[in-house]
Amino acid sequence: MNLKLVWLIVAGAGLVWAVVASTGTPPPDALREMFSGAFGSPQGWRETLKESTPLLVLGASVFLALKAGLFNIGADGQFVVGGLAAAVVGLRVTGPGGVVLGTLAACLAGSAWALLPGWIKAYRGGHEVITTIMMNNVGRLATTALAAGVLRAPGQQNAETPLLDASTTLPNVVQDGAFRLNWAFFIGLVAVVVTALFFSRTVAGFETAATGSNSRASLFAGIDVRRTTLAAMLVSGAVAGLAGALQVFAVKHQFNADFSPGYGFDALGVALLAAGQAWFVIPSALLFGALARGTSALSIMGVPKGLNGVLLGLVVLVFAAVRYRKEAANG
Amino acid sequence: MASPALQLLTSTAIFSAPLVLGGLGALTSERSGVINIGIEGKMLFAAWAAALGGWASGNPIVGLLAAVLAATVISQAHWALTQAFRIDHVISGMGLNAIAAGATSMLNKSVLSRFAGTRAAALPLPFFWVGAVLATVAVAYVLNQTRGGLRLSAVGHDPEKARQVGLKPVAVRFRALLATGLLAGLAGSLLVSNAGGFTDNMTSGRGYIALAAVILGGWRPWPTLAACVLFGFADALQLQLQGTGLWGAALPPEAWQCLPYVATLVALMAKWGGTKAPAGLGRF
Repeated sequence: MNLKLVWLIVAGAGLVWAVVASTGTPPPDALREMFSGAFGSPQGWRETLKESTPLLVLGASVFLALKAGLFNIGADGQFVVGGLAAAVVGLRVTGPGGVVLGTLAACLAGSAWALLPGWIKAYRGGHEVITTIMMNNVGRLATTALAAGVLRAPGQQNAETPLLDASTTLPNVVQDGAFRLNWAFFIGLVAVVVTALFFSRTVAGFETAATGSNSRASLFAGIDVRRTTLAAMLVSGAVAGLAGALQVFAVKHQFNADFSPGYGFDALGVALLAAGQAWFVIPSALLFGALARGTSALSIMGVPKGLNGVLLGLVVLVFAAVRYRKEAANG
Repeated sequence: MASPALQLLTSTAIFSAPLVLGGLGALTSERSGVINIGIEGKMLFAAWAAALGGWASGNPIVGLLAAVLAATVISQAHWALTQAFRIDHVISGMGLNAIAAGATSMLNKSVLSRFAGTRAAALPLPFFWVGAVLATVAVAYVLNQTRGGLRLSAVGHDPEKARQVGLKPVAVRFRALLATGLLAGLAGSLLVSNAGGFTDNMTSGRGYIALAAVILGGWRPWPTLAACVLFGFADALQLQLQGTGLWGAALPPEAWQCLPYVATLVALMAKWGGTKAPAGLGRF
């Protein structure tokens, strides 16, 4: 623990205190309310786990890219187009087959949305942060136009598709009073486990991580760095698309214009917090899920939801200050 | 009613000016080696402060000063995070953007909501248009003709060699980020002048577009201005073309709104300016 870090934490806490106090709620009350909102009741747990599910999968997606040295800010756009693809297929093919086909379509759509940024990064040297942000904007606009246009539910004013048939959804595993847990959560856990095994057990995983940690050395070692970069981006996009499919089949049962409240950015935080260890995506997704649920419980007390962004940013900064300082000292 | 051509020209000026000011702000820090994805958050905080200053005092100068002060504080916080804490530049920039978006949204509800329905005092738009051009002249002059500017470029190009000839990269970057704060403050103040107040996330990604313009402009001031005007023109064009179809087919407004983003992607694909990045970006 060094003095600079203490300063950073004090400044961060001061900032949170100030913005919360400005809304008229005493900060200690707000903290208590946040905690009990996320963990204090069966509904709280239900919502926390529900918020954590897309973060688990998107966390795995961003983590994959990060290991390859890529900031996939585009997970948000890939998630949204994946969700749209899943809804479109699910509306035409009913039953479990529709869920499977819709999920595949979502993975393809997510991958397609990552193709251009991946290619520009690998073969044109354009920074993926800029290109993925552009793709996010295009994805949001394109899906909104479709949901408001040809795909809009008959007689509906808002930009949303019709609801999926009940047979074309993912069921709950547990349904106990107010508590519910959907299969999607376990699929998310599997996604993280597969990601972890990919990096620890496969040659491709090793090559991906090598490219991310030192692309020049990897090139000299005979790794096709450009292909690996593109492949990592495509797989990351497919996983983000999977998250979109899960959100459609488990939670929303349709696609609508406000499909993502910014999960992609939260996922960046999740992946950074995992610090290179895929398993840590699980606790960090739970943390950010709890933060999201806690701040939405708090918004009932008149504290705006913007608090979530402030806390997210601070957690990322403090954590990055601890971790990346070490890396700078090493290299 | 003004002619369509004149209207297009005016809205091009309206849309490009914040990009030019924000882009130059990003440019000064990037040329010194600090990746400035955080320009979005700086502009947003500046806009919030400009609205607060303009509303609370009724004096446009106070609004402008408040915006510059706020952007400077965030900009120097970014300096501290990247130079003192040595956090990865992209991560710290994204972190600052998340904090800025969340905090300004909260402070908008808690502090600014009482002013709803009135216009915040702000300097007129032509002031910023002239300012954007003058700022380009100034940044180009300082970067290319003055000792300080050459030092800044040297640090951004190779911090290690710069250190060997006696420059202090951390100190040079501190001054570079002061310029970033000033320019981002002007950009935020301009947004308020244009909108008449503050709305949540009112920068809506303009910081990222400005950064894309810097990349397209090869990290040089005049080409950056040209890229910003190109994006501003795409934006003005989409506004003008809304409701117009293409080859007889009706197009949704979103199709035109995609124009600036698609233009950015095409430009990056074509690799305009892509090879002229300061070699020391993100390094110590």
